[in-house]
Amino acid sequence: MSASLASEPYLVIRGVTKRFGDFTALHAIDLDINKGEFVSFLGPSGCGKTTLLRAISGLDVQTTGSVRQGGRDISNLPVNQRDFGIVFQSYALFPNLKIKDNVGYGLVSAGKTRAEITSRVAELLTMVGLADQADKYPSQLSGGQQQRVSLARALALSPGLLLLDEPLSALDARVRARLRGEIRELQQRLGITTIMVTHDQEEALTMSDRIVVMSKGRIEQVGTPDDVYRRPASPFVADFVGRMNFMEGNLVAPGSADCRGAVLSFSTEFTYEPGTPITICLRPEDVVVRDTVASTNVVNVDVGVMEFMGNHFSTNLHVVGTSLNISADLSMNDVRDLGIKPGATIPAALPADRLRVFAPTAA
Amino acid sequence: MTVATSPRVKTVSQGAPPTSAAPPVRQRMSRDDITMRLALSALIVWLLLTVLLPLGALLAKSFEGPDGKFVGLANFVQYFSNPALTQSIGNSLVIALISTVICVLLSFIFAYGITRTCMPGRGTLKLISQVPLLAPSLLPAISLVYLFGNQGIAKDLMMGNSIYGPIGIVMGEVFWTFPHALIIMTTALSTSDARLYEAADALKASNWRTFWTVTIPGARYGLISATFVVFTLVITDFGVPKVIGGQYNVLATDIYKQVIGQQNFRMGAVVGLLLLLPAVLSFAVDQWVQRQQSAALSSRAVPYQPKPNAVIDTAAFIACALIAVVILIVIGVAFFASIAKLWPYDLTPSFKNYDFDNMDGGGWASFYNSLRMAALTAVIGTAMVFIGAYLVEKTKGFHSGRFLFQFLALLPLAVPGIVLGLGYIFFFNAPGNPLGAMYGTIWILVTCSIAHFYSVAHLTAVTALKQVDQEIETVSSSLRVPFYRTFFLVTLPVCLPAVLDIAMYLFVNALTTVSAVVFLYSPETTLASIAVLNMDDAGDVAPAAAMAMTIFFAATIVRVVYTVLIRGTLTRTQAWRKR
Repeated sequence: MSASLASEPYLVIRGVTKRFGDFTALHAIDLDINKGEFVSFLGPSGCGKTTLLRAISGLDVQTTGSVRQGGRDISNLPVNQRDFGIVFQSYALFPNLKIKDNVGYGLVSAGKTRAEITSRVAELLTMVGLADQADKYPSQLSGGQQQRVSLARALALSPGLLLLDEPLSALDARVRARLRGEIRELQQRLGITTIMVTHDQEEALTMSDRIVVMSKGRIEQVGTPDDVYRRPASPFVADFVGRMNFMEGNLVAPGSADCRGAVLSFSTEFTYEPGTPITICLRPEDVVVRDTVASTNVVNVDVGVMEFMGNHFSTNLHVVGTSLNISADLSMNDVRDLGIKPGATIPAALPADRLRVFAPTAA
Repeated sequence: MTVATSPRVKTVSQGAPPTSAAPPVRQRMSRDDITMRLALSALIVWLLLTVLLPLGALLAKSFEGPDGKFVGLANFVQYFSNPALTQSIGNSLVIALISTVICVLLSFIFAYGITRTCMPGRGTLKLISQVPLLAPSLLPAISLVYLFGNQGIAKDLMMGNSIYGPIGIVMGEVFWTFPHALIIMTTALSTSDARLYEAADALKASNWRTFWTVTIPGARYGLISATFVVFTLVITDFGVPKVIGGQYNVLATDIYKQVIGQQNFRMGAVVGLLLLLPAVLSFAVDQWVQRQQSAALSSRAVPYQPKPNAVIDTAAFIACALIAVVILIVIGVAFFASIAKLWPYDLTPSFKNYDFDNMDGGGWASFYNSLRMAALTAVIGTAMVFIGAYLVEKTKGFHSGRFLFQFLALLPLAVPGIVLGLGYIFFFNAPGNPLGAMYGTIWILVTCSIAHFYSVAHLTAVTALKQVDQEIETVSSSLRVPFYRTFFLVTLPVCLPAVLDIAMYLFVNALTTVSAVVFLYSPETTLASIAVLNMDDAGDVAPAAAMAMTIFFAATIVRVVYTVLIRGTLTRTQAWRKR
């Protein structure tokens, strides 16, 4: 058994299905997570990301399928025989215990001596930057501080797996941004395998080694933030992560399509028949308005409404002579230097290598 | 860090493709899960023995003939063909209806004054309104006799009518059920949305119109709930009609007469079953109301803050003060009658009437028995209720068990005290029942009281537990801390206010109850409330009043001590609540 285990990923999920009566929340999920990785489960509400986390933790065991952690089959083990620490959106701190007693809670039952507990608690509190708050009660701390205590408590027994269930959702934006970095930094320092459930794609993109994008109980894509953003595997992922222009069109040739009058060429080749409907996706920030001569898919566009977003303009562009409208993020530099104003007509390029094309999937 | 592998781990082949015939995963139970299920099962058995089976025994008895054989509906036929008996049904209904209307009206006015006006003295008035809870239902009846009876000081107000009979019963019942209705009304009227009033204001609706189109509909569930609760309390109450009912028979006193007077247990069982009907109906309506109620108040509602209005505030104050004065008079009359040598002729103060040991009824021993019983009920009952509520909320899986427990925990709400007591006679006295050893001891009184008052205590505990973060147990499991450690270190301290509340509730109710225990006491376990009954029966009304006042004082002292303790203990152990 040991030979195969050495090369096995830390967490192996195979065929995990979860049914609630007639409703299937997870469809045969297969996933590998490596040791020390930070993986995010990302998706809209109801996609099954929390269900999958709860199956891994044993809180809500899967209907069928297996989960292996560190070479050990944990599929049917009760929660207190598994090896993980968990942090919840609501912090779930023990309100009547001091911070140091909250953090040391699991250590007392583990039979450590008083001295060991005190030193370990001090170590953990220093790690999360709350060493001076040890004697306070949770209600006396801010939300961000409480979440850090929750994290320290989860790490006290040095678990093999850290599970974060929407840990930042209850915090306001500023605190969220700061805590994001702190959690990531701590995770990297300790090298602990971590799974985070979130519906916030910004969190997933900034914190993760890999992102698992889920929808309706299935995995849509597993990849690095760069993969998921730049090379979305499906229209769902393309739309969910970041903003995206969706251009419906019909195939004209293996490498080009007619989108509402605008003929665009792209780099992938499709061998479907001409006339097949396809979807072309382009990120708003990929629209080029400067030095378009050397680019591909150059069109003339009428500039419509320009929304001031602070560091860029979110602009509606109408392709002249067609019924194609796209949204473009134009940088302040470009707008200023080229004097772009609503009502102007300018050349714009939709670079072929930035277009993601999705063919119709078989039903 | 090494991870120990359990030798019994099932190995699943890696990477095996899932098929539709894949075996379902059955999670192993941890030691915690097993312990919790066992404990919950034990409590279920306890509730079965103390609630359901006695009711079953009652049901069986009603179908029994004189020789113990099954006779079908013969007893029921006999009951319904006896006009003397069936007249009680009509009497009970009339009494209950009139009392309910008056009580709901008065409690609505009072609750409106407290929650919707800025009248002065709201705190004091609220305090006075809770006073009737501290006395047995017999006390107002005795006071009414002193006020309006044959030697009553206000007899002329009766204009020739006798206080003994329906008038007296209604007045006594209204007094006794007033606080119950008030609590429901206060809750209903205080959970209202200020935005509705602001909207009505902006649309220029008059106060009168706003009252009928916004206030009343908003409180409708409270009105319905209070109506059914009071109706059931009145129709099943035994104490008031026993003292002041005279020749006017009601169902509750009929049971007593059949069982104690005529030793006709079967007829008693038949009447007992009849009395179950209004209680069950009331319970069903209340459940429906609960469901509607939670849907009615949205989470965006803004609490209503009343604005001062001289006319309304004065009118409300006068009405509420009148009610409060009446309450104080009733208690006061009983007190003064108990310390007068011979009311109303010789008013020199004397404690002669408190010399219980020289009278029938069991003497001071009855009082100490009551205190002991109430204390045992409070301590054991609170532990059972809270642990039961914890287990039913936190046990994983075991749906059938948890459902059964919830049902049994709420069942006592549908069972009047006197009916439960009757069932206890049949069940615990049945030949061959090993638990029969409890009969005649204080333990059957304690058991019956815990069962009788279980539901409200249970609901209080469940509400408190739901307010604690639901993931506490999960965290405890993940840190491999056994559940009972977390229960004692976290859950219990956090819920301490509710636990003390439950203990207080059980103590006061056990101390003042009459109906549940009237069939179950023995010469060694006489109780104060029963002593009041017996002394009144024997014509010693003044000592009866004295005993009733003793109960009242005991309950008040405990209440005051509890309030002081709450403030003291909680500020120390609950310091973590403050920011």
